[in-house]
Amino acid sequence: MKKIGFLACCAFLAFASFGCGPAKAPANEIEVWHWMTDRQDALEALAGKYEQQTGIKVKLVLFAPSDAYTQKVLAAAQAGVLPDIFGILDKRAIVASFIKEGYVMDLAPAFRADGGAWEKSLSVKAVDNNRFTASNVYQVPAGIYGVPIDVSNVQLIYNRALLKKAGIVRPPATFEDLLKDVDALRRVGISPLVTGFGEMWIVDCFASNYAFNILGEPKIMATFRGEVPYTDPEWVAVFNVFKTLAGRKAFIEGIVTKGNKYAEQDFALERAAFSFDGSWAVNIYKSMNPNLDFGVMPLPAIKPATPMRVWGGAGSSFVVNNRSANRDKAVAFLRWLTAAPQQVYLSAQTNNLPSNCEVNAGVSRILGDFLKAMENATHPAVWELNEDPLVIETFDKGIQAIIIGEKEPEQVARDVQAVKARQMARQKK
Amino acid sequence: MFRNRYAIESFCKSTALHLFLMAMTVACLFPVFWMLRSSFMSNTTIFVDQSLIPRELNWHNYALAWTRGNFGVYFFNSMVYTVCVVTGIVLVASLAAFAFSRLSFPGRNVLFYIFIAAMMIPLPGSFVPLFVMMNKLHLTNTRFGYILCMINVGLPLSIFLLKTFFDKMPSDLEDAARIDGCNSLQIWWHVAMPLAAPALAVVVIYNALNVWNEYILAALLLNENDLMPLQRGLMVFNGAYQVDYPVLMAGLTITAVPIIGIYLLMQKHIVKGLSSGALVG
Repeated sequence: MKKIGFLACCAFLAFASFGCGPAKAPANEIEVWHWMTDRQDALEALAGKYEQQTGIKVKLVLFAPSDAYTQKVLAAAQAGVLPDIFGILDKRAIVASFIKEGYVMDLAPAFRADGGAWEKSLSVKAVDNNRFTASNVYQVPAGIYGVPIDVSNVQLIYNRALLKKAGIVRPPATFEDLLKDVDALRRVGISPLVTGFGEMWIVDCFASNYAFNILGEPKIMATFRGEVPYTDPEWVAVFNVFKTLAGRKAFIEGIVTKGNKYAEQDFALERAAFSFDGSWAVNIYKSMNPNLDFGVMPLPAIKPATPMRVWGGAGSSFVVNNRSANRDKAVAFLRWLTAAPQQVYLSAQTNNLPSNCEVNAGVSRILGDFLKAMENATHPAVWELNEDPLVIETFDKGIQAIIIGEKEPEQVARDVQAVKARQMARQKK
Repeated sequence: MFRNRYAIESFCKSTALHLFLMAMTVACLFPVFWMLRSSFMSNTTIFVDQSLIPRELNWHNYALAWTRGNFGVYFFNSMVYTVCVVTGIVLVASLAAFAFSRLSFPGRNVLFYIFIAAMMIPLPGSFVPLFVMMNKLHLTNTRFGYILCMINVGLPLSIFLLKTFFDKMPSDLEDAARIDGCNSLQIWWHVAMPLAAPALAVVVIYNALNVWNEYILAALLLNENDLMPLQRGLMVFNGAYQVDYPVLMAGLTITAVPIIGIYLLMQKHIVKGLSSGALVG
């Protein structure tokens, strides 16, 4: 009896471990690897529709969280087993290394076909995020290497009901107005602003918006080149924005340790009147508090004559495996996915901004408001050059120190400049 | 008077100890209770309703977690992986530990230290070479490949634990078995293994927990949804931007039940294993 049990157990284990192995992919199938759990259902529905229309099966393979996805893509690239379509969730330098190794197809010829109809249908900023110009610092051949399936931007979101409670009839037009609103909100016991300043990129984004307003892009780039020091009065003015806001108690308690997911919960639950967040938050707010009445605007300017720039561009992009035998089929699918009907469907299902600008009128009111800022969108990925990572880290940590009252703006400016000088000296060596 | 003083002292010590133990118990059980409680709430109430017992019980979350998370398939896969990996680890680790402990052969210590050193290498550090090697062996996207890798992950600590146990085994027992005509393999099976039951229980529960909760290696090696373990189902509710907390909590509750069951079944052996020196060293 024991022997029979043992044999049965062995048979089960052998079946379980060896059986049910993967079948080879049929020829009429393209494989897509992605990381977007919130878009899986919508993408599955579209894949089904595509198969009905063309007979080509689109196999969507989801890997989440994004860290696991990134590891998977890196490992698959090393082993030469990347799928037909995938995304690269990494720094531009990593994207460039994929391109230089020949893993990513240049889509510029496809975009320019038919008089450039495909390129013209998509958001310029989103396409630019995937573009490498002829003079790019990564020495990648000029081209467009990705297809944006949606766009996003980061702005100031406000809760209409809470503003009304504080007697504020319209959102602030200038930085001075914002300070007045902060005082009004504090008087009625409402926390004015919440955001995920525990995450460096949000600190960087907030500061960058004001840097573009106060210094302008040429002076920022000159700073990155080392021609303007961070101790310049205009950079100190950028740091002073945080000192002023902290001094007026504009920030919710514990803001410098708050992750963005928690900041989003706070805003959705009406614990703060303003939130500095991305367009992806619309979906979160709607699921957590369907009655939340909110609007969106760029951060109020310090120099009203200069339009505020916001960080924005491609939300999620796909690239085509240059070594795939199904390259043409993959490109055709991506072109179909970014066409108007599919973009309308994706936007409606996932509350993300469509990458196809021809359908902007068909989106919800709040998404439409987010889209208005796209013309002033910018992003480090499209800047002619980027700051040294160590300088950025000192810059962001310095701002956190200002917010908690540990350092003065001038001191932070000196600290950042010292790191900048050191890094430049190293680069020269 | 002295008797009273002694009684008061004893009562105070006992009360303090019990209060401390009660506090520890509450601290350990509260997250489990919170998970259970949150699994019955909705996305709109989970952060608003601060009550310990939810006003409305959303049993629907469990059905949603099971269907949307595709838990049926993943549950089967996790069971297969856990049984195969734990069986593999127990077999290989006990044989290796017995050899390191009771047999003398050249390079024994060096080999053992190499195994121990393997514990120091973080798994993500070996992802790329591991994937490339498994791909060359045509073992990516197969159950067998994943099981082999997971056995490898669990071996160093298990060998270390079992060797510590076998080191304490009296040599008289081994001699007696030899006189009875047992060879080394028979001594391992008939003498060492039965004696090592408490240590094996620790190895089983530790590795079962490890395999049951593993996802990163599965995501690296497997592509097909049909091959993925249970943790993959939980990822559906844990998006990059949005987390569906109530359904995630329902999924976590479903996931936790079998492992709690295993622990309860082996509780006696585990406590014995821990107290009798399986973790000494």
